[in-house]
Amino acid sequence: MTTSISLYIPGDSGLHRLYPITKLLLALALTLGGFIFPVTWASYVIFLGIILPISIWGGIWKQMVWAVWKIVLPFAISIFLIQGLFWGSGTVLFYIGPLSVEKDGIAFAFASVGRILLVIGSFLMLAMTTRPDLLMNALAKLGIPGAITYIVVTTIQIIPRFQAKAATIIDAQRSRGLKTEGNFLQRARSLTPLVLPLVLSSLVDVEERAIAIEARAFNAPGPKTILIDSVDTQNQRIARYIMVIIIILMIGLRLWWLLTSAN
Amino acid sequence: MVVVDISELNYTYPAAVTPALNGVSLQVEQGEFLAIVGNNGAGKSTLCYALAGFVPHYFKGRLHGKVLVTGLDTQKVSLGELVIRVGLAFQNPFNQITGAKYTVFEEIAFGLENIGVPREQMWKRIETAMELTGITDLKDRSPYSLSGGQQQRVALASILVMEPKVLVLDEPTSQLDPVGSREVFQVIKEMSERGLTVILVEHKVEWIAQYADRVVALHEGQILIEGKPRDVLTSPLLSERGFGLSRYTMAAREAREGKLWPAGLILPVTLQEAVDGFSRQKK
Repeated sequence: MTTSISLYIPGDSGLHRLYPITKLLLALALTLGGFIFPVTWASYVIFLGIILPISIWGGIWKQMVWAVWKIVLPFAISIFLIQGLFWGSGTVLFYIGPLSVEKDGIAFAFASVGRILLVIGSFLMLAMTTRPDLLMNALAKLGIPGAITYIVVTTIQIIPRFQAKAATIIDAQRSRGLKTEGNFLQRARSLTPLVLPLVLSSLVDVEERAIAIEARAFNAPGPKTILIDSVDTQNQRIARYIMVIIIILMIGLRLWWLLTSAN
Repeated sequence: MVVVDISELNYTYPAAVTPALNGVSLQVEQGEFLAIVGNNGAGKSTLCYALAGFVPHYFKGRLHGKVLVTGLDTQKVSLGELVIRVGLAFQNPFNQITGAKYTVFEEIAFGLENIGVPREQMWKRIETAMELTGITDLKDRSPYSLSGGQQQRVALASILVMEPKVLVLDEPTSQLDPVGSREVFQVIKEMSERGLTVILVEHKVEWIAQYADRVVALHEGQILIEGKPRDVLTSPLLSERGFGLSRYTMAAREAREGKLWPAGLILPVTLQEAVDGFSRQKK
């Protein structure tokens, strides 16, 4: 029995078995793709045409789509409302009372939502099929400092603990008569006695954890070893070089467009 | 052989006015089991940190005096050198889990990875550490899915796997239930019997009285009294300062007032000692 505390969904698909850096570069390249191509629907094409099929291959598409839906929907609603109603000029599509909805506002909102979809989708594709510790090991092998990879990997793992702690504090303060329900003003007033203990006790936790990992020679000088390494292949190495070149090309293309359009 | 040699240790945390440790001198022999007792703010944790080098390397602050551990001056060598000699474990089991590992086995490997132990040697050492702490059957579980007592034993295994010369434990059972505490105490006792030097900060005096070789009582950064467990733990010096006495000590003290405790016999700390004393009086 293993309680899952990260986004990782155990599995043995080809996607799971890919070397972590290969997946990381893929996620990066796909995300950049949505930001580079100057059409509003680029992100949707990449999401539906590449990320979704890959996630089906990895056996995680249901969880991925569900998570994307939950995360992106609130953003989508607010972006369409704000961009649609308050931004844009030119062709007016229709009116809602005194407010006009313009064509370019809707187009902008459409593109923005697409980009959020793409960022979340490609991140989940990576996170749901990659064990965080193996990603950490792979990053360490690339020469990225242990402190940075540690922070990235553990932050995700700490979230459930943080939620549990928040629930305890809410219960404790409620039992002492704090009103956490009611109108907006009451709720806002109850925020300080909830947030302050949470932040302070988390800081204490961070210090203890720092000492604990230090006690296990986290900052010891000299070479480190890796207990479990992910399997890498020659094909993946080639694929990674190609992806790096594509990423550089995309950035270059974008810069070139920027420069030429400025003239 | 003296493993720990502290002389005239004074230490003040940064931004603090009063020193946390004030003229502490203490020697610990190889293989000894030393218990430290004291009220909150007595300097127990600070002393633990000083032994493991976190004072002053991690906390900074002002330190006078000398702390020698296995012959090394903790002020002169780096923290990395010290942590492989002094294993430190503390209260909260959850905060000692790295959060970067997927299984108990890998969690224990964390320290070995950091000091660059070759992979072939790791397996043997991790298996030994898991056997010592009785967690072999948990090796594929996530460290987060375990109970507090199990997590604390994983934390102990993670320290023991680095084969320290001295084990420093700062209230390792204070956040555990009775079952968890018993499991952890069992491991500590086992390690001590195997000859490891153990320095334990603990409030459960009955347990200390049974297993520790020597007890040091700290009070306001100074050593108040030290000696054999039963002498120290029943001392009036302690009760005057509001230390927690065991219920057996308190019962026997009351009994002594009514001449129900053998005259001249030292007060008990544990149940067994109390039973012995009272049955002697009955005869």
